[in-house]
Amino acid sequence: MNVIELNNLTKMYGKARGITEVSFHVEEGEIFGFIGPNGAGKSTTIRLLLSLIYPTSGSATIFGKDVVKHAPEIKKEIGYLPSEVFYYDNMKVIDLLKYSASFYKKDCAKKIKELAEMMELDLTRKIDDLSLGNKKKVGIVQGLLHEPKLIILDEPTSGLDPLMQQRFFELLENENQKGATILFSSHILSEVQRLCDRVAIIKEGKIVQVEKIRTLKENNYKKFKIETVSKVPDELFSRLPGVNQLEVKGKTISFIFRGNINHIMQKIAGIEIANLWVEEPDLEEIFMHFYQREA
Amino acid sequence: MNMYLHELKAYRKSTIIWTLSLIAIVVLFMSLFPAFSRDAEDFMKVLEGFPEEVKKAIGLSFDTLATILGYFSYAFLYIKLCGAIQAMNLGLSIFSKESRDKTAEFLFTKPVTRTQVMTAKLLACFTSLILTNLAFILAVLGTVSMVKTEEYSGKALLMISGSLLFLQLIFLGLGVFLAVLLPKVKSVIAVSLGTVFAFFMIGMISSSTDDEALRFFTPFNYVNDYYIIEHLRFETSFLLVGAVIIILSVLTSFLVYRKKDIHSV
Repeated sequence: MNVIELNNLTKMYGKARGITEVSFHVEEGEIFGFIGPNGAGKSTTIRLLLSLIYPTSGSATIFGKDVVKHAPEIKKEIGYLPSEVFYYDNMKVIDLLKYSASFYKKDCAKKIKELAEMMELDLTRKIDDLSLGNKKKVGIVQGLLHEPKLIILDEPTSGLDPLMQQRFFELLENENQKGATILFSSHILSEVQRLCDRVAIIKEGKIVQVEKIRTLKENNYKKFKIETVSKVPDELFSRLPGVNQLEVKGKTISFIFRGNINHIMQKIAGIEIANLWVEEPDLEEIFMHFYQREA
Repeated sequence: MNMYLHELKAYRKSTIIWTLSLIAIVVLFMSLFPAFSRDAEDFMKVLEGFPEEVKKAIGLSFDTLATILGYFSYAFLYIKLCGAIQAMNLGLSIFSKESRDKTAEFLFTKPVTRTQVMTAKLLACFTSLILTNLAFILAVLGTVSMVKTEEYSGKALLMISGSLLFLQLIFLGLGVFLAVLLPKVKSVIAVSLGTVFAFFMIGMISSSTDDEALRFFTPFNYVNDYYIIEHLRFETSFLLVGAVIIILSVLTSFLVYRKKDIHSV
């Protein structure tokens, strides 16, 4: 069953682009990554799913129900963690969490305690006095305390230290094993690679690709930078399949390679090199790749 | 119910402060009445020098100022000003705070409809204002009966002080309407003070010129205290206009709020 389904979902802010004809689906029980650079439309898509904003055209369903028509019903089973957490000041953490729990018709006291212990969150502090990271923890507990079937996370890790990030991921994996579906939006590829089964890549308001993480990894993008001793002909690498964004500046050659790494190494072995860098490309560079292929 | 209680609690402090302030104004004004009525004639002589328009604008009416009801009506003009600011502040603040404090994502991702949110907030406003008015009326009845020098119509006094709620509801409606309609309210106090004072000025102009048509443009003059003292009833046409304003602003706010995009920060 598909937990989330988007059909040509479009949102325009006046004439400015929000997202254009976004379609993808998230299956029950999977951790679905949603990646793209800042301003690509990740948050817009999520806000549409939560009916914080309403679509210009197209539609979306969660649990098979239309997100606009059945919003309150759907939200009973959704836990949401925004990228920036702001809560009513002047409240203690526990009061805020109790207020949050009061919207769901179940007893969440035990879960609150459990989550707070796991995230090392002091429930008696005032929210005003909390650091960014601690506020984020409040957000995490707040989003999970009603044991939602669908967890929506919008760049959730900012502000958390590496240890807490680790805990948080374990927590998510736990919830996932218990049956929760997770939509995880991020611009950090490594997080997504670690957690997700499939990803949708969004750029400038459009879905560029929906792929299994396994495929992405098999694709094995590498960023090469080679400094040669003497100038080599440009064609040496440009003819090779899998080479993208080739740049030659004097004796420095750089490109992104996707494919069997042995082929490229054999080629490099054939020339005399002064220096060699092989790096994981960052997300932006992979995007550039997708982008160019689209064009 | 949880939202209603939450909002009520959030505005508890401000409601108490406004209520106490209103009571303080009543007590202050009315405690001066014994001294004033004793020397009323001297006061009148001083005031006679004022131009007629100014006297009307600041709410002085010669025939009645020496009576307790007349004196109270004079004080009531400034109580109305305060009450209007309180109500408008409340309406503006409670409906714009989700976007000001960036808590919209908390509230609107909960399993509630926009209509439920709006209803809870409106009820909380209404409760706050009712409580304020109850305390205010009690304070008025108490102080007036303590300082009175002659018998007065209790009904007129009740009608005048009760009209504060009517005025407040109008300004509450305007505040809610503005909060929902404006894309973003950065400073609640600036918008509410601006609006209230604009209407207050129109009210002064309308009083000093006796312009009946202009009265329709300012909620401050929908209830004429001197008319009440004389006839012991409200003027229906103005009551109707006020009611229409309240209903229209709340209704349109509901309609807009339900369809409004909640933008991120």
